Formats: sequence, structure tokens, C-alpha cells
Amino acid sequence: MIRACAIAVVVAAAVLIAGCGDSDDGPLEVFAASSLRDVAPKVDRAPRYTFAGSDELAAQIRDGAPADVFLSASGTPVQELRAAGLVEAPFVFASNRLVVVVPAANPAGLNAFAELARPGLKLVLGGEGVPIGDYAREALAAAGLEAALENVVSLEQDVKGVLGKVALGEADAGIVYATDVRAAADDVRELAIPDEVQPDVRYYAAVVSAGDVERAAEFVRRLAREEGAGALRAAAFLPVPNRAE
Amino acid sequence: MPSRAFGIALWIALASAVLFLTLPVLALFLRVPPDELVAQLASERAREAIRVSLTTSLVAHALILGFGTPAAYLLATKRFRGRAFVVSLLELPLVLPPAVAGIGLLAAFGRSGLLGEELGALGLSIPFTQLAVVLAVCFVASPFYVRAAIAAFEAIDPRLLDASRTLGADRGRTFRRVALPLAAGGLGAGSTLAFARGLGEFGATIMFAGSLPGRTQTAPLAIYDSLDQDFDVALALGALFVVFSILILLAAKLIPLWTRSASISPFPFARSRST
Repeated sequence: MIRACAIAVVVAAAVLIAGCGDSDDGPLEVFAASSLRDVAPKVDRAPRYTFAGSDELAAQIRDGAPADVFLSASGTPVQELRAAGLVEAPFVFASNRLVVVVPAANPAGLNAFAELARPGLKLVLGGEGVPIGDYAREALAAAGLEAALENVVSLEQDVKGVLGKVALGEADAGIVYATDVRAAADDVRELAIPDEVQPDVRYYAAVVSAGDVERAAEFVRRLAREEGAGALRAAAFLPVPNRAE
Repeated sequence: MPSRAFGIALWIALASAVLFLTLPVLALFLRVPPDELVAQLASERAREAIRVSLTTSLVAHALILGFGTPAAYLLATKRFRGRAFVVSLLELPLVLPPAVAGIGLLAAFGRSGLLGEELGALGLSIPFTQLAVVLAVCFVASPFYVRAAIAAFEAIDPRLLDASRTLGADRGRTFRRVALPLAAGGLGAGSTLAFARGLGEFGATIMFAGSLPGRTQTAPLAIYDSLDQDFDVALALGALFVVFSILILLAAKLIPLWTRSASISPFPFARSRST
């Protein structure tokens, strides 16, 4: 009886919302890393996209969010889902580089990656587990700039959060993907991060097992074919490194 | 018979509503065993978040009481042109989406905001600091207190205030010795609600203050941040909020009852001057 009442409310809500046209037979649902926000619709306009930090999207898929495709900005979230049997075998479809962004006015007068360790700076990074945050910490560690972590004033949920805080001029610097800079080209300047400390950024595509597997596989194939690769290249994403795993 | 069916329908509706609203709350406690919840609360992440939340909320609350009480007293006891408009302005944050509050605070107090240059000249940079959390909490929580305080002061029989004045007390003394004690119940209830709203503040804080564990990451931000990796920490903090919210509700309901019985008002029904 108790369960029946609670379920009645949920069913009533489901009926009402279905009446409002939120049906199952909609477009393909693609959950994609925030850094793909501008390029994904250019690969294929048809799907409905949800953009967020890859770790957060993976958590949503684990909780049963209705995704058909998962595009992750790093291996960890997608491999965890794979281990749990929630997605089909993933493959790498693009690569990226990191850059430092500073507000156009450059209030801290930064000129180089190495200066991020200068005391008193306001640095914004992605959070723990968020791909852009983990890649950034990897690059800082590789460059021996662990002191820069003392300058972190905020840990954001995804790369757009990092870019936003810098573009608004509130933070002195942030670390984002090279492909993100275009979206805020008027508000930020970019400083290069040297090749030898660049982390190995890989984007993974995976078909979600509980989703519309057939249409999802078609979308994923499109990413790898010329039309997808062309759109990714045009947006400055890098081709897949040769040593695929 | 139809009347009986109607009665049953009412009970079913009530049972459904109660169950739907309590199930998520119960589920928080059922997903993880109680001792595990307590253990998670002792984790560094949870402790830091609770500490940040309490510090910022207490400071914000002192500001809300310090500025809100006299402001509400003035609005309750003085009629002036534009008063209704001023009251509406103070209530605006109540209906404003927190995200709008966050972007507004950035636009006003951010480094490149309206007052950014003046604040910078004073050596103040507000975003990403605990001060930013305090301002966000003040912005969203103060209307809860101010509204209740205006109502509480308006409910005082004006003849008591007049009597105090004729007996020689000046306005300040009348406020301290007569108005404040008589309004205490309403003020206390409003104060607890505002404190609860402030502790739960999320949207404006994450936009204006960012999220850094140990500095600006309050308990609600920690719940959001823990969702993908430390789900148990998120659940534990959630459960703590449930317990706290129950206490707040009880307090908000009990404080007025308890102070009313101690009221020194000779009139059982205070004449309301509210419009």
C-alpha cells in the first residue's frame, strides 16, 4: 500500500509529462564533455546534447540517465563505466592540448606558464576527477610547478566553469583546452604550455549499452569518418595519436 | 456513497503527497548504514565543508540581524511614501533565482564589476573569498528574516509603545525594553528560517565565491562536488541537513508558542497595522 501510493505519484507525474511531449521516441541523446560544446553539433546536428564534466556525466549514466552515446574527455570515466558493463568498448577519436588563459586585460601581468607558481595569483582549475582539472595538475607536476596549487582559488565542475571565471576577469589565470579559447577569444589571452609537459589528452567515444545502440553506433562511426574528423580539425582538435591503446 | 468515495479520494491524495515528500528524505538514511554516515561526516572533506558553512553562516547571520532588525522596526512603525516599494525591494531576493543572485553579485562586487575598482583601491578583492560566501548568504537569506521581523513588530499593540513613551522612555529605550521583547517570538522564528536558508545556499555561492575545499566550499557545494566520487560523503552531508532542517522546523514552530505564553501583552489579540 505504501509503495503503491508513492509509485502512484511518480506514475501520475510520468503520465502528465508524457502528455507534454517528452516522449522516448526523440532524438539520439549524446552526453558529451564540456569542451565539445561547440564542435559536437557541427559533427551532427540531429542529436540532443548534454554537456558537463565527463566525470559528472559518467555519474549520471551510472544512475540511469537516458544517454545513448558518451563522449568523454579522458579515459578514467569511460573505463569505469566499461568495467561496470554500462557502455560498449570505447575508442579514441580526438586529442587536445592544454593552454593557460588569462583575462584580456591580464591583471596579473602573466607572460608564461612557469609564472603560475608566483605567490598571490588567483588560479582556477577543474576539480578533482574532472578531466581538465586532472590534466592541469599533471602538467603542473611535470613542470615542477606544484607551488601553483597554493594559488588555486576555485575548483570548477567543468572546463566552461574555468573559462568563465577567467573571461569575467575574476580570476588571474586558468588552465583549459586549446580548443576552448575560441569561444571566449575577445575576453581572454592564451599562454602556451611547453610540449614536454603536455599531458596525453584523449577523447573517448562509447555507445551506452542501455541506449539506442544501433543509432548510437552510427553516430560514433560518423565521428571517426571524414565528416566528423573534418569538423574536429576545423575546431582545432588534434588527430588521434598513432599509439592507440 | 459518492460522498464516501470522495472521502477516500481525499485520504489517498494525502497519503500520496506525504509519501512522495518523505520518501527521498528517508532514502537518504536507508542507502548507507547509520554508523557509516557518521564515519563519513568525520571525513576531512565533510568536516571542512561543515566548518566553512558554519563560519560563513554565523557571520552572515550577525549581519542580517544587525541590519535587518532596525530596518524592519522602521518599516513596521513608520508610514512614509514609497514604503511598500521599499518592502518589495527587500523581498525581491526571495523570488529571484539564486543563479541570478550570483551573476548580480559578480556584476556588482566582482573585480571587474560596478564597484570593483573602488573595492580594489581599498585592497579588497571579494570573489573566491569567504567574504563572497557571506555576501551571497546575506543576499538570499535576509528577506526571510526581514519579512518575519516586520510582521512581528507590526503585531505589537501600538498603545504599548505609546505608553512606554509617555512614561518617559525615549525611542531607543522603547525599542530595546518594549518592542524587542514583545516581538522576540516572531524575530526568533524568522531568524531560524533565514539561518536555514543561508546554510542551504548553493547557486549564488558557486557563481560568486567559487568552490574550494576548506575555503569557500560550503556543505551544499561539497554535496554537489562529492556526487561523482564520494557519493557516501554527499549522502552523509545530506542526512545531516535533514536532521538540522527538522530541528529548524521544530524551532520555528515552537519559539513563537513559547514566547507568546510569556508575553506581557495585556491584550489577547494585538491589533495588526499591516496593510
